[in-house]
Amino acid sequence: MSGIINVGMADYRTARVPDILMTAGLGSCIGICIYDPVQKVGGLAHIMLPTANGSMGGNPAKYADTAIELLVEEILRLGANKSRLRSKIAGGAQMFAFPGKPQVLKIGDRNAEAVEAELKRLNIPLLVADVGGSFGRTIHFDVGSGELRVRTINHGEKVI
Amino acid sequence: MQVNQMQLDALKEIGNIGSGHAATALSTLLQRRIDMSVPEVWAVPFEQIADIIGNMGEPQAVVYVRVEGDAPGKAVFFFPLVSAQIVAQLLFGTDHELDLFDDEMAQSALKEVGNILVSSFLIALTQFSGIALQPSVPALAVDMAGAILDAILLEEGTLDDDVLFIDTQLSGIPQIEGQFIYLPNEGSLKKLLGALGV
Repeated sequence: MSGIINVGMADYRTARVPDILMTAGLGSCIGICIYDPVQKVGGLAHIMLPTANGSMGGNPAKYADTAIELLVEEILRLGANKSRLRSKIAGGAQMFAFPGKPQVLKIGDRNAEAVEAELKRLNIPLLVADVGGSFGRTIHFDVGSGELRVRTINHGEKVI
Repeated sequence: MQVNQMQLDALKEIGNIGSGHAATALSTLLQRRIDMSVPEVWAVPFEQIADIIGNMGEPQAVVYVRVEGDAPGKAVFFFPLVSAQIVAQLLFGTDHELDLFDDEMAQSALKEVGNILVSSFLIALTQFSGIALQPSVPALAVDMAGAILDAILLEEGTLDDDVLFIDTQLSGIPQIEGQFIYLPNEGSLKKLLGALGV
């Protein structure tokens, strides 16, 4: 029996096969899934903002540039091999368009950029990214198979 | 910032008066009786918002109005899809199912509902506090509640560890349910409380 582990906003969790990690209602936030396909362990982080800007205190799981490293450490503790780690991400949408106002701060795009940069810095290949658009996503990540199921309300469902 | 019990009570009173005006406006607009819960004031770590808003993956029609002026903030209406459908149908005087995802007329009607509710709320707030506040053009999203909420909270690219907001439930017949939240921006809270003398 596989269990479903819920990951909240600004939180990260790890799991072993056959468990599923899920997070509901990603808007401009991003769900980052990292796994070792041989050891069949992995984790999911739900980040909200690109960078902690060096601010100490607060919740490090909130930011791309602090959460991913913590998630990786935790996955390695489950026996994963650093060189085998790979990743998939989803989220980073722009939910609202205000008429007549330029969107100077596209936080979803900035989140995606920050996540991709951080994965690169940590040398973790990014296999697939389902980011952008103007709709929310709920994701289920199967750490055993590496399958990431992305569900939306009005834009279909897919497995990446 | 930390708020004490007296300040919480003052915010609750703002919520009471403002939401009362908003409920009356909705009732007039729809020609239906609309009831309102006693507002709650939450000052919580943002992670706990999920528990207050409910199922983050559930689709809702959400109207978001930025509040501009001397004490800016954010006003948000959450309508479950069933309620949004009923409200839109009442406004158009139709029994036909409207496509809330694509029908621009239905969407613009829901935005207008949000506009009227928020304007009523703000008029009450301004009368009560003496602080001038104006609603921006309303925006609508029909999608997962959590996705919409995170976009609203993170719009400026920052998020404090604690958030404070006034939370009111609206309900009417038939099957109209909604949740109205008002989030003063961090600096605004001080101004509002100052204007209220607490």
